[in-house]
Amino acid sequence: MTKTIDKNFSMPKCFNERSKPSLYCPGCGQSIFLKHLGFIIDDLEIQGKTTLGIDIGCSLLAWNFFNFDIVQTHHGRSVPVAVGYKLSNKRRIVMSIMGDGGGYAIGLQSLLHAAFRNNPISVFVLNNTGYSMTGGQMAPTSIPGEITTTSPSGKDPKNSGKAFHGPELIKQISDNSAYIARASVSNPIMLQKMIKKTLENQIKNNSFSFLEVLTPCPTNWKTTASESFNFLSKMEKEFPIGEMTKNEK
Amino acid sequence: MKNDLTKIVISGEGGQGIQTIAKVLAESFKDSGFYVSYIPQFGPEQRGAPSISFIQYSTKEIKYPRFYKADYLIVLRERAIPATTTFVNSKTKVIFDSSTIRPNVIKQSENKKEAVPATKLAFDLFGKKNLNLIISGYLTKLFSLNEKAVWKIIKNQLQKKFSEKKDLEDNARNAFIYGYEFTSEKKNFSQPTFKTNKTIIISKNREREAFISPELCKGCGICIEKCPVGALKFGDEIGVYGNPIPEIDIDKCINCGNCFRFCPDCAIKVKKKSK
Repeated sequence: MTKTIDKNFSMPKCFNERSKPSLYCPGCGQSIFLKHLGFIIDDLEIQGKTTLGIDIGCSLLAWNFFNFDIVQTHHGRSVPVAVGYKLSNKRRIVMSIMGDGGGYAIGLQSLLHAAFRNNPISVFVLNNTGYSMTGGQMAPTSIPGEITTTSPSGKDPKNSGKAFHGPELIKQISDNSAYIARASVSNPIMLQKMIKKTLENQIKNNSFSFLEVLTPCPTNWKTTASESFNFLSKMEKEFPIGEMTKNEK
Repeated sequence: MKNDLTKIVISGEGGQGIQTIAKVLAESFKDSGFYVSYIPQFGPEQRGAPSISFIQYSTKEIKYPRFYKADYLIVLRERAIPATTTFVNSKTKVIFDSSTIRPNVIKQSENKKEAVPATKLAFDLFGKKNLNLIISGYLTKLFSLNEKAVWKIIKNQLQKKFSEKKDLEDNARNAFIYGYEFTSEKKNFSQPTFKTNKTIIISKNREREAFISPELCKGCGICIEKCPVGALKFGDEIGVYGNPIPEIDIDKCINCGNCFRFCPDCAIKVKKKSK
C-alpha cells in the first residue's frame, strides 16, 4: 500500500507550509538557519508560547514563515520591541532575528543595552558581511579585502575599519549568566545545539542569550554553491566559531 | 513623423537576465543614433521576484524615463504578468514566452500577440543561461537593428564571463543568431510544456527511499555540493523557478543526511525503509 506524501515531508511542524516555497533566494543561508530554528522549537515544544520579532532587511521575508506570532518592527528596533514584549508578558518565549545591518549598524545601541540590562530574550544576528536586500553594499562586518558594490577594489581597513565582531563586544558588558556564541550554517549539527542552548538559557536561567550565525548570500556574493561555502570558510577564519566564555571577575 | 517615441517594457523573473537584455538594447539604440532612456524598476535584490525594465527611444529628446502605456511588452514568466498588465492598452504588442505562459492568460487581442518559446529553446539547444541571448537576438530583428553591432555590445557586456570559458562564447553567439533568425509564433502557439511537476519524485531501492519535491526546489545546488559520495546531480525535471532540480542515484546513497540537513527549502529527504 502506498501512502500519499505531504508536501511538507521534510519540514518542521511549526512551519507555515502555505508560505512555501519561501521568498528567500535559492541557496540562502538564512532559510537554512530558520529551518533548524523550527526543528528546535518542535523539539522544545514551545510553538504555542513563542513570539518572534523580525527586522527590516532580508529577515523580514520570514513574516509568514512560522505558525506562531511574528512582530514586524522598525529597522534595528527588533530587540527593544522584543524586550518590551517580554517585560509585559513574562511567560512568553521571545526571540528576535536581525541581519548584521540591523544588529551591528543601526540597532547596535538597542542590542548593547538589552545585553547590559540582561533582559531575558534570545537574539539571533545573521551575519552575511553585507547589506543584502539593497544590493550587497559594504557593511561594518565586511571582511578586509572583500569586494562589494560599494568597495569595488576590496574593503580597505585603513578607511573602513576591520570586520566588526559582535559577540566579542557584547561579552564585555553582559552578565555572567548570559549565553553568547557564534555558529555557522556550514555545520548544521553544531548550529542546532547552539540554537537550543540560546533558547534554553532564556527559559531556565532567565537571562540574555545571543547567537550570531554566519550565513552565505549567493545572490550578492555572486557565487555558486561550492564557492559560497568556500567564502563561508574564509569568514570562519575571520570570525571564530564557538561559545564565548565570560571571564570571572 | 508625428509621434516617433517608442516605449518598451521588458519583464521576467530576477536572475533571468532581463536587465542585461535591456542594457544591450538601450546601448544599441544609442549607437544607431536615437535618443534613449532606460530605467529598471528597483525593488528588493532577490531571485524570483518580478524584474521589470523600461526603455524608450526616439529621434527627439526624451524628457522623462517613466511612462504608463507601452508600445511593446515583452514578458517571459507568468509570475511577472500581474506587475505589467497596467502597461497594456489596445495598441500594445505583446511578446511572450509560450513555453512558460499559457496564451489565454494574456489579455490582448489575437493579432497583437506574438510568442517565442525561448525557455524551451534555450534548454533544448544552448543551456538555460542563454535564454536572454535568444530574446536579444529576436528583439534585434524586431527593431531592425544591426545584428553585428548588437553582438559587439553583448560581447562587451559579458566579456568577464566569456574570458573564463572559451566554448561559452560560441554557444552564446549561436543562441543569439538563432533568436535573430527565429520567426515568432502567431495564433498557433505551442503549449507550455515547461511546467513544474506537482508530484513528489520518489526513488527507492531495497534499503532506502528518497523524496524530492520539485514544487519546493529552487535549484541552489547545495545538496549536490554537500553530498560526500556524489549521488546527486542535476537532472531533467524543472523546479519552482524554472531551474533544473537534482536527481538522486539511490544505489550510491549512503543515507548520511547531509542533503536534507543543508537544504534551505526542505525539498529533499532520504530515509531508511522500515521493515
